[in-house]
Amino acid sequence: MTCEHAKELMAAAWRSELDRASQPAFRQHLDTCAECGAEIAALGKLWEGLADVPAPEPSQALHARWQSTLASLIPVEHKPWLARFWPRNPAWQVGIALACLLLGLLAGASAPRHDSEIAKLHDEISSTRAMVALSLLQQESATERLRGVNYTDRMKTMEPEVVSALVEAVSRDANVNVRLAAIDALGKAAAYPGVLQSLTRALPQQDSPMVQAAIVDYLADAHDRQAVGTLRQLASQPDLNPAVLQRTNFALQQLSR
Amino acid sequence: MNVHQSTDHENMEAVAGGDLGRMDAIYRNRHRALLHFFFRLTGLQATSEDLVHEVFLRMIRYRETYRGTHADGGFESWMYRIARNALTDHARKHRNEAAPADGELETVPSGRPTPLEITAKRQDFARLHRALRELPEEKRELLVLARFQDLSYERIGAILGCGAGTVKTRVFRAMKELGNIYTELCREKAS
Repeated sequence: MTCEHAKELMAAAWRSELDRASQPAFRQHLDTCAECGAEIAALGKLWEGLADVPAPEPSQALHARWQSTLASLIPVEHKPWLARFWPRNPAWQVGIALACLLLGLLAGASAPRHDSEIAKLHDEISSTRAMVALSLLQQESATERLRGVNYTDRMKTMEPEVVSALVEAVSRDANVNVRLAAIDALGKAAAYPGVLQSLTRALPQQDSPMVQAAIVDYLADAHDRQAVGTLRQLASQPDLNPAVLQRTNFALQQLSR
Repeated sequence: MNVHQSTDHENMEAVAGGDLGRMDAIYRNRHRALLHFFFRLTGLQATSEDLVHEVFLRMIRYRETYRGTHADGGFESWMYRIARNALTDHARKHRNEAAPADGELETVPSGRPTPLEITAKRQDFARLHRALRELPEEKRELLVLARFQDLSYERIGAILGCGAGTVKTRVFRAMKELGNIYTELCREKAS
């Protein structure tokens, strides 16, 4: 080992970074080289002495200055004004919510009623729904027409125009699913004038056994005796679907009672 | 590896991502080591505290340049590079101001038991302080990093931009020069 290499290893030895592999050769060099031996002893002592040189503790002024700087750099979170008053405790939050609900109920109970205005509002909503349904029923897309039919389910009472549009759909719509949905939607409109007659007229025009069966069931459920003639004609068709024939015969039995 | 290294790497990544509040954790972990670093280089506590504050401000200002990793001790290297630049800038600005003489060096209580020992030790520390201050700047800085800042030679190499072997050789030379100055100061005192 050269003296130059030994000096490099001295710095490692002071910091206990000397690897095991180098240690035997390093020790041997120090034992044989008086200059390096003396140097590591003297400088090692100085190295140790440096550790005792004290350094000051940070002052409170430094901490205060840092905290002040940091506070000025971190953007202030601007909460909505209501959030400043909103308690963090969940129990308080539930309490406030219940108090608000109670106040609302009391205010609602004590407020003067405007039945005519409410009725008017209901009418407006019904008209709007009817417009939407009618609009959808006129769309080219069968999916949209189906949506229009389903939209009529939300109506408590049906506008005559809507009933008329549904009857039209049963009679003329090209899509079987739309026709079936329209028959279902007309379930609560059987009492409307002309609905049963319209469906009775539409029955012979149907080529879909499912739609035929649905109209037959509809007429039977409505106990429409005026439809008996049409049902008999249907039952007499030689190529009628057996399932439709079975339902038609069943309907005729019900209506003949 | 410094116990704060991985934590401060994560903290600094969060700061770089916009969470400036995490800078306070880094301050708590590092301000003392930085103060000692500056104090051993300048010998002045007030100046050292100014520099510590400046280093943390620069860390925030240049947070987006942080590219450290756990593996290479990136945070520590980055922090000391900022500290060295802050000291260089400070020295440039205060070039015309006289450096503190031996007697002006701020003393720090050593905590030794007897007054006689305290006096003797203080004289010893003062001579070591003076010897350190008489070292050329780059050697003084190297010894402060190697002896006081608990940094491996490899990490010092990363800070200074050289290999660990070079650092060891330079540390030896700096120690030898410090020894010569210290011996000279002891002789002056004796005569």
